[in-house]
Amino acid sequence: MRSQVYEWSNLAAGGAGLTSTSTLRRTVDAQPQVVPANREYDIFIGGIGNNITKPAETTATQFIVIEDIACSAYLGGAVQVRINTTDYFQNPDVTDQAGVPGLASPYPRGSSNELLATSALIAADNTQLLKSFDLYPDVYVLPGQVFQILYSLTTTNADYPAANNTAVVSAFVKYTLYDGPDALIANKLLELGVTINPNNVDWYKRTLIEQQQRSRVAAVASNGGSA
Amino acid sequence: MRSQVYQWNSQTGTAATSARDAQAGTSISIFIGGFGNNITKPAETTATQFVVIEDVAVSPTAFLATGYGAGTDEYRGLIAGAITTGVAGNRAYIQVRINTTDYFLDPDNVGNDGIPGAASPYPRSTDFQPCFNLYPDVYVLPGQVFDALVTFYNTGATGTTVLNCGLWAFMKYTLYDGPDALIANKLLEMGISINPGNVDWYKRTLIQSQSAPAMPSA
Repeated sequence: MRSQVYEWSNLAAGGAGLTSTSTLRRTVDAQPQVVPANREYDIFIGGIGNNITKPAETTATQFIVIEDIACSAYLGGAVQVRINTTDYFQNPDVTDQAGVPGLASPYPRGSSNELLATSALIAADNTQLLKSFDLYPDVYVLPGQVFQILYSLTTTNADYPAANNTAVVSAFVKYTLYDGPDALIANKLLELGVTINPNNVDWYKRTLIEQQQRSRVAAVASNGGSA
Repeated sequence: MRSQVYQWNSQTGTAATSARDAQAGTSISIFIGGFGNNITKPAETTATQFVVIEDVAVSPTAFLATGYGAGTDEYRGLIAGAITTGVAGNRAYIQVRINTTDYFLDPDNVGNDGIPGAASPYPRSTDFQPCFNLYPDVYVLPGQVFDALVTFYNTGATGTTVLNCGLWAFMKYTLYDGPDALIANKLLEMGISINPGNVDWYKRTLIQSQSAPAMPSA
């Protein structure tokens, strides 16, 4: 099991000759790309900023537990988790919503909720946002499922904070990847209704080892003391 | 067992050994990368050592907007890039490598740059707070080589003066040696997290089992 993070930003196309709105590997001095408002962009394969080679999914021997999501706090940014085709965050009337606002889970932590119009004003801004959201219980991605982290904003980042400027926006996801035998144990814990975290996976391993030891001792005893 | 830290600064040493824009986009070992302060040989554990890496961090990044002054403007102590990218700071990442395997992967199972400084900043402040903690810890088993690789993408922000401070990285780990390393291996076999508390617990159970009165003979 391994702690993993993925950071997305709308930075791409740095350097001469690079004109794409997305990039597989981060590039030096990449430029912020325009993100249209009121649309959801998959931070993995959405076609803006740094992306990966294929949709994020778990194999048959992987289990993912998403533990934190966050995004830029300005421009009405929000992040939604989608498992296969189901959005995780929804309104009380079971209608769609944008997800966790960046104001509630800002990335980076301590950043401001707006970008001001001039360098001097930006430098003087001393707003330091704290998180008011904790992703608990965690979100489970079972083996074979596809998951998306969808970023959206209510106001486009073009011409923000001033004309001819483009704001950099970012999103962040922290998850733990369980693979191989750890993924099997994670499935077993899910069946048992036990929370899946590294401690509980270790606890299950210990109980398995203890059971094996007990059965070995019982087998020796039933053989009259010989192994 | 001993709590240990290692701090790396890209500007330590001579001009020739300070990281520059030419190193942008390439990963630099904080131990033996040839830039900043280094050690004499690759970081590795001996047959009687066990290392548990508990935290890694790197210089923070602030995401702003184009138009924010290139090179000259400062935002909360971070200077903007050489060109107007809308990023202040180095846009740095730190990856942990055990032998030849990168620890942090993208969801498509391709190795990535590692933990962003925006998520695990060093140094920490109210301006730059962490939203990542390295849990579960990373284990370096006896005989393994480990490394921390820093990659940065914003040129002109590495800094050349004390004021600009350059690029920093930090690693916190616990070194278990001698009998403690043996116990750490035993805990690993048992599926128990390796931390000083559990190592002490295992020692106590050993002592208790040794000092328990012998069973009376039948």
